Amino acid sequence: MLLQRLFLAAWLVPVLAMIHIGSAYQAPFAYEPVGPRAFPLLMLGLLAAGLVYLLIHPTPVEHDPDEPPPTAQSLRKVGLCIALLLGFALAFEPLGFIPASSLAGLCFARLYGGRWLPSLGLGVALAVGLYLLFDRLLDVPLPLGILAGLEI
Amino acid sequence: MDTLNFLMQGFGVALTPTNLLIALIGTLIGTVVGLLPGLGPINGVALLIPVAFAFGLPPESALILLAAVYLGCEYGGRISSILLNIPGEASTLMTTLDGYPMARQGLAGVALSLSAWSSFLGAFIATCGMVLFAPMLAKWAIAFGPAEYFVLMVLAIVAMAGMAGDKPMKTLVAALLGLFLSCVGIDANSGVYRFTFDSIHVADGIQFVVLVLGLFSVSEILLLLEKTHHGQQAVKTTGRMLFNLNEARRVLLINLRCGLGGFIVGVLPGAGATLASALAYMTEKRLAGPDGQFGKGDIRGLAAPETAIGASCCGAMVPMLTLGVPGSGTTAVMIGALTLYNITPGPLLFQNEPELVWGLIASLFVANLMLLVLNVPMIKVFTRILAVPNWALVPLIAIITSIGVYAVHATTFDLLLMVAVGILGYVLRKLDFPLSPLLLGFILGGHMEQNLRRALSISNGDLDILWSSGIAQGTWVLVALMLALPLLRLWRRRAARRPAEPAALA
Amino acid sequence: MRPSLRNTLLAAGSAVLLSAPLSAEPKRPECIAPAAPGGGFDLTCKLAQSALVEAKLLEKPMRVTYMPGGVGAVAYNTIVAQRPADAGTLTAFSSGSLLNLAQGKFGRFDENAVKWLAAVGTSYGAIAVRADSPYKTLADLAAALKANPEQVVIGSGGTVGSQDWMQTALFAKAVGVDPRQLRYVAMEGGGEIATALLGGHIQVGSTDISDSMTHVQSGGMRILAVLSEQRLKEPAMAAIPTAREQGYEVVWPVIRGYYLGPKVSDADYAWWKDSFDRLLASEDFARLRDQRELFPFALTGPALQAHVSKEVARYRELAREFGLTQ
Repeated sequence: MLLQRLFLAAWLVPVLAMIHIGSAYQAPFAYEPVGPRAFPLLMLGLLAAGLVYLLIHPTPVEHDPDEPPPTAQSLRKVGLCIALLLGFALAFEPLGFIPASSLAGLCFARLYGGRWLPSLGLGVALAVGLYLLFDRLLDVPLPLGILAGLEI
Repeated sequence: MDTLNFLMQGFGVALTPTNLLIALIGTLIGTVVGLLPGLGPINGVALLIPVAFAFGLPPESALILLAAVYLGCEYGGRISSILLNIPGEASTLMTTLDGYPMARQGLAGVALSLSAWSSFLGAFIATCGMVLFAPMLAKWAIAFGPAEYFVLMVLAIVAMAGMAGDKPMKTLVAALLGLFLSCVGIDANSGVYRFTFDSIHVADGIQFVVLVLGLFSVSEILLLLEKTHHGQQAVKTTGRMLFNLNEARRVLLINLRCGLGGFIVGVLPGAGATLASALAYMTEKRLAGPDGQFGKGDIRGLAAPETAIGASCCGAMVPMLTLGVPGSGTTAVMIGALTLYNITPGPLLFQNEPELVWGLIASLFVANLMLLVLNVPMIKVFTRILAVPNWALVPLIAIITSIGVYAVHATTFDLLLMVAVGILGYVLRKLDFPLSPLLLGFILGGHMEQNLRRALSISNGDLDILWSSGIAQGTWVLVALMLALPLLRLWRRRAARRPAEPAALA
Repeated sequence: MRPSLRNTLLAAGSAVLLSAPLSAEPKRPECIAPAAPGGGFDLTCKLAQSALVEAKLLEKPMRVTYMPGGVGAVAYNTIVAQRPADAGTLTAFSSGSLLNLAQGKFGRFDENAVKWLAAVGTSYGAIAVRADSPYKTLADLAAALKANPEQVVIGSGGTVGSQDWMQTALFAKAVGVDPRQLRYVAMEGGGEIATALLGGHIQVGSTDISDSMTHVQSGGMRILAVLSEQRLKEPAMAAIPTAREQGYEVVWPVIRGYYLGPKVSDADYAWWKDSFDRLLASEDFARLRDQRELFPFALTGPALQAHVSKEVARYRELAREFGLTQ
């Protein structure tokens, strides 16, 4: 319950900031009475009111019976996973799709309990396979990155 | 009996061996493209236009190919929704609500086959509707102006309240967040940049793909990690692959209702499959009342949106063929393809190119049947995904998700935004906020605001325009009904309980 | 073909230097369409794609990448900041990109940040009404606007400050009406205008000639004026009067073309320019361009560079005049 309140309070801050920013919007030309400001401000206002209401009367969180309660260790892993996702995002273009995905695939597989060798194999296989599928067959260009010189 | 003659002629075109083969290839490619989150019918159709042109396909074959891809994509989109809780398209968002719980209960095969069946029925109803009423419907489609669209969006938002369930405030907050996020980017009316913080990357707003994959896919990855940590596997597989007759009978009425409704909404240019499926789901939920298990794996909650999607996809062809006006992003690409063949879609198309139009309509029947026949045996293959251990499944999801997001803008920014959205989605899910109202709010919000403002620009600020036309008035009546239905039920329950209460106390 | 000889020499020279195969064809040719599939930018890229391969100027097929965002702003920034030396990457632009560039909507870069390569075709603005509209000529519409600008609902395909808005505002100015007093509805793209016009939700559509012709031919719409210098030559359009000949000096071409990154070598730039010079002179290209409903407009290299500078300056002036920028 405390966690939920903290989160709601933390959410309220950007909402209030957005209200402040949004109230400055003005159109050089207006052809209708509503303008660019009214709709977002109305939504933000209601959102803020809803958050305040929830702050005062928080609804208890119902846990899915399937979902295990978080532990310090599992949360640490979640943090690690987020870092991994960010790293993958940042490496996607400079490293190129194939190296970045091989690495990310390996790390993800390890994080989810795979053994070293199968994880490595999976990472490389996914990277190359998906590259061929998307870049070659489906015409979604993917960055080559450090492999650009190879011209594959 | 002109229509029937033409239709027979159309089947003559559609059933030639070449065109059958083309339809088969199209549905297969479409299914694969649709299965991949982030890639949708627009990609599939855009991808194949140059191919069709390069092979020198005659226009009717090219159009059959594109229609088959389009239908295949819509079909593929549901597979990831049901099996992985990752909606591949905006329209299949509603499919996750009951499809994924069904898969978790070990009914993945039933969910897939039932959704294929529902979608087939929806498409069948819509194609029949097209044959019978296309020209008439065209008139109704253009009668929808900004004011009418605004009221339609109000109807959808009011219907969303039906999703609230036992946590109305959290649902409301999530929907409001979605509505707000739809304002980010350039304001289509005044040209003012809103909440972009001078970043060109969000100048056009937040991309739907980024939002949906962040909220659903990334947060699912994080949740799977927790489960893996505690030694759980994602979903149990099942023995039964097909729905049974009893189940089919239970949803037949829903199929008919939602097929009709989905077709009507699909005909409206710009409204599309998402609105159709959302309205279908929420209406059925309302009608089912408290005895429905909606959201927990009710087959009605799966059949309703799926029928509506199938129907609205075919409905979207009506404005394209009769008016030359695109009914959706995909049909816009198809119109582009037709102009390459020097064919102008529009009122004259039915007269000038009857074999093309009726060939296309007939091939819609054929492609739909093909999808059903092809995919039912494939369900076994698809459900195998569930047997893949997490250590192999998660890298696959993570990489494909990233490609899907990268394919939109080809920028790193979107990938980072997706991760950020994913973290938000994870926290929201942990704190029991529903995510689908957020996405629906996001999809509907833009339409609602812009159409209201357009309507008011037209009327010079006069609010009367919002209820002056017959269509608008009719829609308002539906809004009132939607609002009144649960109140009525509540009042009835109260009335029934009141005499009982003192007894209970005593 | 004097320039081609020089460029062949140049290309041969650089090829020897790099000890690469003789043709200086850039690796991984790619065309960035700065929009979602299906729009005008997609069309521009597909035109280059099919024309270059058909004319055998490129051995490897050119790919089309989509990079939507701010009428080209995202693509522009990506090219300038991240891929400035990518010799194989063309990016499509239109007058709309230049207009946004002029209004400072492309971030911190101005029109001198890239190498403008070639403009390959143009379209023109048009003013359309429904077939049964009381306005028969531009003068009828002008008279109605003058009498009371609020009695005519004008719809167009873009927000305030977009090309469609600009052509509407220019017409209003030519009539002598303040653009602020119009009843203006911003729709999205030509398809929506057509729907709204046919449905009677708007009375006048300020749109694009190519988008409208299908509806003109099917009898749903009439075009009061095309915003070109002279009447267009296509048989179906020859009867459509220009705004100029009706006494309103409004000309609004929408050119389409490509640019290259700022650090692309002169040799590669010359190779591309030469390829496009040859392409633009060929009959086959004219056919492909016509198919995509674009009208002739050909400028490459320095001539285009100069044209872009001139246009951006003009747009900047217009934006200031209309009070869009300070």
